[in-house]
Amino acid sequence: MANKVNIDWKNVFKLGFILLVITAVAACLLALTNYVTAGTIEQLNLNTNKAARQQVLTEATDFEQVPGDKLATIGTAIGLKNSKELVEAYIGTTDGNIVGYTVKTAPTSGYSGEIQILTGISTDGVIKGITILKQNETPGLGVKATLPTFKDQYNGKSALKEITVVKSKPAAGSNEIQAITGATITSKAVTVGVNMSSAVYQILSK
Amino acid sequence: MNFGRNLTRGIIRENPTFVMVLGMCPTLAVTTSAINGMGMGLATLVVLIGSNVVISAMRKIIPDNIRIPAFVVIIASFVTIVGMLMKAYVPTLDAALGIFIPLIVVNCIILARAEAFAFGNSVADSFADGLGMGLGFTLSLTILGSIREILGAGSIFGNIIFGLNGLIKVAYEPVILMILPPGAFLTLGLLIGLINWKSKKKA
Repeated sequence: MANKVNIDWKNVFKLGFILLVITAVAACLLALTNYVTAGTIEQLNLNTNKAARQQVLTEATDFEQVPGDKLATIGTAIGLKNSKELVEAYIGTTDGNIVGYTVKTAPTSGYSGEIQILTGISTDGVIKGITILKQNETPGLGVKATLPTFKDQYNGKSALKEITVVKSKPAAGSNEIQAITGATITSKAVTVGVNMSSAVYQILSK
Repeated sequence: MNFGRNLTRGIIRENPTFVMVLGMCPTLAVTTSAINGMGMGLATLVVLIGSNVVISAMRKIIPDNIRIPAFVVIIASFVTIVGMLMKAYVPTLDAALGIFIPLIVVNCIILARAEAFAFGNSVADSFADGLGMGLGFTLSLTILGSIREILGAGSIFGNIIFGLNGLIKVAYEPVILMILPPGAFLTLGLLIGLINWKSKKKA
């Protein structure tokens, strides 16, 4: 059955060349579009991030980023196993006075991987607000973590001690939040992020 | 001029979801709510028209033997460019539809229409075909999403229907299963069954 296959090399090179031209044109168009849009997208991302910080720490007018090496030291100090979970931290100021901190965390313990949470904490250790920046949780269940009914539970909680997750309605004045029905894993992951932010706050505010 | 024929074919007779059963991956994954289904459908509609027109315009210069790799490159580039432009200039639209854009690249409807129609027909006909197939896909996904949202969350397009604060004031416990993956298979299976049963009775 060893049939000799005659390859028409001329045709192979011709087809290969045409494919090369098509891919080269496509690559040029992509590079051009990227060149035109990259700056605008970057600027929009910066604005979105700034708006998110403003949302969780309304008191601040300016935000100053905590340098990466300092953040890494803090990460080690709070015993972080995966340094990627602590994304960034900002110091919020008004007229040069520190009014609070915002910490972006990305715990990987969500039901479908990473959840990005931004937490705002005032200088006296009160959580002012949280917002979920990125998540991939189950629609109708874990996604409810992005709704005010869940995330506003964190507002006013103390950043000086750990927040715990309970299944029933938490007692008034306690540092507990009620888990979303059917999405305890998501609720716990968000709380991990908020607690991590609290730990970062405790070091930053010293 | 069979523009109208090309247009309606995709909506009913050769509906991509219910009749040709194409593009099941995004269909099953994103139809957790009516608005998600419609968003995915509309984003696909735009890409489908674009890729059909481009491939139809280039059908004379793409050799037959390498048409599939050429299609893949053209479709992927087109989707990426649309995605980047949307992100930069219409961020509100991107926030609503952006998550669907990367999913479209792997949607076999696009490749199927390029292969089955655009590669052998004029630009105008391909445009009509893309529009029709896109509308058919949007319609199917919106129906699927609506059914799943009504049963699984008691609402449609985010408006509560069943529930103590809703349009019909009843104590309603949502069937969460319907917005989880099994709900997609159940709804799609029953809908395809219903359509087949109807069309068989007619014949």
